[in-house]
Amino acid sequence: MKVYTGTGDRGKTSLFSGERIDKSNPRVEAYGDVDELNALIGAILNVLPEGRTTEAEQLEQVLIDLFHVGACLATTSDGQNAAAFTDLPAEKTTWLEKAIDRMDADLPRLTRFVLPMGHPAASACHLARCVCRRAERRVVRVCLETEAQGGDQPYHGIRGYLNRLSDYLFVMARYCNHITGTVERTWGG
Amino acid sequence: MPAPSKAATWSCRLRERRRLTAGTFELRLTRPPGFSYQAGQRIALRTEATERDYTLVSAPADENLAVLVRLIPAGRVTPFLDQAPIGSELLFSGPNGYFCLRPDARPVVMVASGTGIAPFAAMVRAGARPFVLLHGVRTADELYYRAELQPAAKHYVPCLSAKALLPGGAFSGYVTAYLQTRLDPQPCDFYLSGRMEMIRDAMEIIDARFPDARVYTEAFF
Ligand SMILES: Cc1cc2nc3c(=O)[nH]c(=O)nc-3n(C[C@H](O)[C@H](O)[C@H](O)COP(=O)(O)OP(=O)(O)OC[C@H]3O[C@@H](n4cnc5c(N)ncnc54)[C@H](O)[C@@H]3O)c2cc1C
Repeated sequence: MKVYTGTGDRGKTSLFSGERIDKSNPRVEAYGDVDELNALIGAILNVLPEGRTTEAEQLEQVLIDLFHVGACLATTSDGQNAAAFTDLPAEKTTWLEKAIDRMDADLPRLTRFVLPMGHPAASACHLARCVCRRAERRVVRVCLETEAQGGDQPYHGIRGYLNRLSDYLFVMARYCNHITGTVERTWGG
Repeated sequence: MPAPSKAATWSCRLRERRRLTAGTFELRLTRPPGFSYQAGQRIALRTEATERDYTLVSAPADENLAVLVRLIPAGRVTPFLDQAPIGSELLFSGPNGYFCLRPDARPVVMVASGTGIAPFAAMVRAGARPFVLLHGVRTADELYYRAELQPAAKHYVPCLSAKALLPGGAFSGYVTAYLQTRLDPQPCDFYLSGRMEMIRDAMEIIDARFPDARVYTEAFF
């Protein structure tokens, strides 16, 4: 199948649920950010310190989860489809929390703001974290617009997941510095 | 690094090859135990060289699987499918894709070019109706599954591009011309399948004439 179809040359795109919408639609902005975030997660995998299989497997799971998130954001509730891309289950957020706690246990206590720098993997995590926050803000906007149009706020699971994922990426950044012996620099210190 | 997801590989046997026209044939394949799918989904058939997607034309409840294949003489896979001996083993992965009928109260308009009729044949065999179906082909002999599709459709419109004798009820011209001039604007769900150029041109007309439509597409090539 060809990558290009030419059906989007006039500024419109199709949602997974079939609606034809403008490419400036908040949903497109939201899943575009999730796509950008996912590409950054892939980039983290490339620079992750050698031998970190547990973390690599976690990040691969995140890649898959974020694909699902993108599909959900491209699916409106009035255009339901067979595959039911509605939300992420809450367990996905719990799973991230456990991963955060595991890494956090090995880290020095946080007393000041850390500067977003250090090992290449730490930098990549910080970049991904910022994009994750932006994706979350855009998802919130989609939710508020859906509510303003008289619907229920969708994506509880996704909002929780993105919020926790940026925490995960923050802790992963610190963790990458820690395990590679890279000095963690702090603001004002 | 392990692959994020692995599609299941299935083995089947070629049971029958039915010639529909000089250039198209239907392959009937044994159904591997445990293999299930939804009407409109496709499988990726493997050869030693590579793999290609084929939409299942059989209904999900059928005993066998079936695909409709257009022979591309200079192609890499279809000449093999054209010649493989009956009884030979074929490997495939799947089912893949989301080109399935969505539960919806809005009128359904299916638009196919050539072998793009395949997913609609499966949907109709699985019980889909009512629907409007436009099938664009060059000549009437390429109206695959017409005998089955026509009675099931609310409105079945063969669109023939070759300037030849038109069978009764056929439209002379491309499916896009029909969309442009004959179909009344209304909020409906379009399903477009087949040649990419058809999908692109149809989409342009749908964007202009059917602003509230939902559109689902399956581009074959
Ligand atoms: C989602 C999807 C579903 C598909 N379902 C079917 C199906 O149900 N039946 C089917 O016959 N094909 C289907 N195809 C096309 C199929 O996957 C192959 O591309 C096709 O059979 C040609 O394979 P090949 O290796 O012989 O030719 P290749 O060596 O790949 O040469 C391909 C060339 O043949 C032309 N071509 C490809 N497919 C067709 C076609 N169906 N009709 C006319 N020209 C074509 C194209 O111009 C292309 O440049 C599907 C493709 C996709 C992406």
